[in-house]
Amino acid sequence: MASVQTNSKITTSSTAEYFAKNLQQVGFSSPTKAVLTTLKESLDNSLDACDMEKILPEISVEIKKLGAGSQKNTDLISIVVEDNGPGIDPDDLATVFGEYLASSKFGRGQCSRGQQGIGISAATTWVQLTNAIGVTVMTKTKRMKKAVSAIVDVDIKKNKGVLRKKETEDWDKESGVRVEFKMDGRIQLNGEAGLITYLEGTTLVNPHLTLNYKLLDEPWVKIERVSQEVPEIPPATNPHPHTMKLGEFITHAHLYGKVSCSKWLKSGFSRVSDQTLQEFVKAGMPKKLLDASVNAMSEADFKAIYQAVQNTELMSPSTRSVLSIGEEALSKSIARLGQVDFFSVITRKPRICDFKPVVVEVALARFLDRGREEEPVQVLRFANRVPLQFDKSACAITQAIESVNWRSYGLNQPKDSVPLGSYVFAVSVVSPFIKFKNASKETIDASDELVEELRRCLMQAGQKLSRHIRREANAEDLERKIRHIEQFGPMLVEGLIRITKANEKRKKLAEEGLRQILGRDAEAAEEKLEESESRLKQLKGKGAGVEAEDVIDVEKVEGGEAPAEEVKADATESNGKASTKKAAGTKKAAGTKKKK
Amino acid sequence: MARAVKIGSGKDLPKLSKEICEIMLRDLEKAQRPVLEAVKCSLDNSFYNPKVGFLTPGDKKVRTELNVSSVQKMARAVFMLEILLRNIETGAVNNKRELYYIAKGVVKSTPHLKPLDFQDQDESDAIIDFICEMFESYREEWNCFANDRGGQTYSQQLVVTETMADGTKAVIDLSTLGTSPFQPKNKPQSLQLKAKKKIDFCLIVESEGTANTFVSNGFTKRNNCILLGAQGVPSNAVRGWCKLIQDQLKIPLYFFGDLDAYTLQNIYRTLKAGSAASLIRNSDFSAPDVKFLGVLPEDVKKYELHDYAVKEQDVAEGRALKKAKDALANDPFFQDKKNKKLADVLNWLLKNKRRCEQQALFMVDPKDPIMPEKIILEKIKKGIYI
Repeated sequence: MASVQTNSKITTSSTAEYFAKNLQQVGFSSPTKAVLTTLKESLDNSLDACDMEKILPEISVEIKKLGAGSQKNTDLISIVVEDNGPGIDPDDLATVFGEYLASSKFGRGQCSRGQQGIGISAATTWVQLTNAIGVTVMTKTKRMKKAVSAIVDVDIKKNKGVLRKKETEDWDKESGVRVEFKMDGRIQLNGEAGLITYLEGTTLVNPHLTLNYKLLDEPWVKIERVSQEVPEIPPATNPHPHTMKLGEFITHAHLYGKVSCSKWLKSGFSRVSDQTLQEFVKAGMPKKLLDASVNAMSEADFKAIYQAVQNTELMSPSTRSVLSIGEEALSKSIARLGQVDFFSVITRKPRICDFKPVVVEVALARFLDRGREEEPVQVLRFANRVPLQFDKSACAITQAIESVNWRSYGLNQPKDSVPLGSYVFAVSVVSPFIKFKNASKETIDASDELVEELRRCLMQAGQKLSRHIRREANAEDLERKIRHIEQFGPMLVEGLIRITKANEKRKKLAEEGLRQILGRDAEAAEEKLEESESRLKQLKGKGAGVEAEDVIDVEKVEGGEAPAEEVKADATESNGKASTKKAAGTKKAAGTKKKK
Repeated sequence: MARAVKIGSGKDLPKLSKEICEIMLRDLEKAQRPVLEAVKCSLDNSFYNPKVGFLTPGDKKVRTELNVSSVQKMARAVFMLEILLRNIETGAVNNKRELYYIAKGVVKSTPHLKPLDFQDQDESDAIIDFICEMFESYREEWNCFANDRGGQTYSQQLVVTETMADGTKAVIDLSTLGTSPFQPKNKPQSLQLKAKKKIDFCLIVESEGTANTFVSNGFTKRNNCILLGAQGVPSNAVRGWCKLIQDQLKIPLYFFGDLDAYTLQNIYRTLKAGSAASLIRNSDFSAPDVKFLGVLPEDVKKYELHDYAVKEQDVAEGRALKKAKDALANDPFFQDKKNKKLADVLNWLLKNKRRCEQQALFMVDPKDPIMPEKIILEKIKKGIYI
């Protein structure tokens, strides 16, 4: 075989070097996206930290332009994020902000926002690459009397964080972190990829968050929390053996070091017990391997075990590890987006999709002050309570929305598209093991099982929504009928009088008779409307103890096979009142007419 | 209790109108819902009576009871009725398009009637049709005429006497018109026919152009006949005209057209037996004696005529096939044993999916321009028709 001699030399790169050259893979593909991703990574970390320590988060965000950026067509942007979290130990600052894959959350099977330990280090890298200065961090934990501030750089060659200008200073906060990124970027406030969309989305799925933000020259905006409960983060769960590929399986084994194979399998995976091990043996796993040390096993041994595991029926993984926002909290939170006309919220029971526990939640809301009838609905996608703002067409959530026939629920929908109207469709997927399509976590992989689960949830929410739309249709029908009576009745009588040449007395008598006939019809229509109103109220009535202003549309779905009974109330009290008033008004009008 | 308004058999429309309006007014005075009844003009209410030879209406009625949903329709019907009665009173005539604009003009001059305004002609047409069905009358009886279309007639023997609206009479000798045709009117009742000399037959040609060709080649000079072009689906004028020829001259009538499902099921059936949509006028607007001269399937074979496959992908042809299939299954005309041979042709067309045009006769002897005439005369003579 011929060999070719070249001068090329095989080299290795550090993780930081790799990401420094490939920042586009983790959300830094453009100056605009860099600003959003930096804000997102920083806010995610703050929220995760608060959740872990059971602190109700109060976070402030300030973004402003400082001048021209070093690159063409960019601005020098300052992004400041300050939280009231537990703070970071000063010794960990360099690791947290300057080292890739340094994470307290990696692969541990919890529903945290961050997972891999890439995002915030990538933000630091971007800051460093575009502005030649690292990120400025101030931190204080409860044990510290004074805060520590420093600049963190990334040593790209060694994948290490480096602290500079470390100082102590007074900070009137009990604990927290303040981080400032000065970097090249461009600011997009509105639209699907806008900062406001991100901040609104984040507040929607974090009802316990109080957020203050100031964007450019706009005044400060404060969005108060609507829930006083910090979400309970369920304990971590071990991976299910059916979710792994052979390579992952072997790597996972070596994390456990010098233990027996049986011990590794039982403690390293969920749903593996002594009895299961016997079934593995029956399925072809050599029995002698059970007591063998993991370190001593060959690749062939692992393959034999892996194949036996795959051929064995196992219980589905536990769903206890998933966290949901909850319908009540989501119902309250959605009102923070604007003036809600009506909405419906569904939280499904945790389900297993592709051997991973998943909770899907959907909030569909019609707004009086956002969106337009002829435009597509605004879709807010969330994965583990983090907004997804890019590459929506490939996302499981978008595909599920497009696959539902929304016309049957009273919405306009072009073929194979999202429906139209002044609605927000917020769809959240929470799972300790969300499968994203890329490292920047912008799109959820559209597996058949997940899309089907999303569809079911959307359809249930759609069914509830359709009740409101039907009621509106009834109200419109009533109005139309009243209009008909008022418009055409007298004209019919006039025409008959002219043709028959009847006198004025007969005209009045006929008009009175006509009102009686058509009044009865209008009353029948009103009764129909009132009937649908009362049915809705009846459903609301079941949610005892809920304040009228806070009335929510809550439905707990068990198993989620079929639309479940509504157990709490509906969110459209304000709209409902308006409709009732309208109906009462028309009835009164009809009544007055009868007396004439 | 509401009472349905019954229409009398007499056709003094102004008097009937007043009676109906009076009943409606009385119902209203008593806070009862007036009900208007109209003949249901649809296939499911059509019956073929082989004795009379055309489609007749069954007992089904469309009842319109006054309620919030129908109040607009009723108000509009009374509004349009007033306009039509005025036309009868003054002797003015209009077509549907003109009535649409007249209604618009009334609304313009009477602003409080604005809600009755018709947004497009379809709306006013539907109200006019409703009035006609309610009174079981022709729209011509309301002085509402369709545009004259089709039926251009040629003859050297026919004389038509038309009674004008003012009672005067006009006599038209068709032999004096040269190559110009006589255009039959939508109101056949005002025409009186006379033959100067014995007329042997009347030939109705589906294609207006082919009828013209026959005349130019001397068909009417060589034959004592009436020749007319139907111009596709026969209009009311053509249907009424053929009925008049049949009844007043008592001569055989032959239809000559394409061999395809559309011609047989739409054009010929409508000419011979009327249509479901015009049940109330079929008695005066169909010519049950007309025979289907061809093109027949056997002609295709005998004269080796060029035919071609029906393109099922073609929207119009596909629809014609589907309609033909429906006709065989549901149309009482094709289901009656009297018309079995016609149904057989329709079945043949559906089975073979071939079609042959009337002009194919010109290929039999390309050098002889009157060969189609010869074939037609031969078919008449030998009785090769259905």
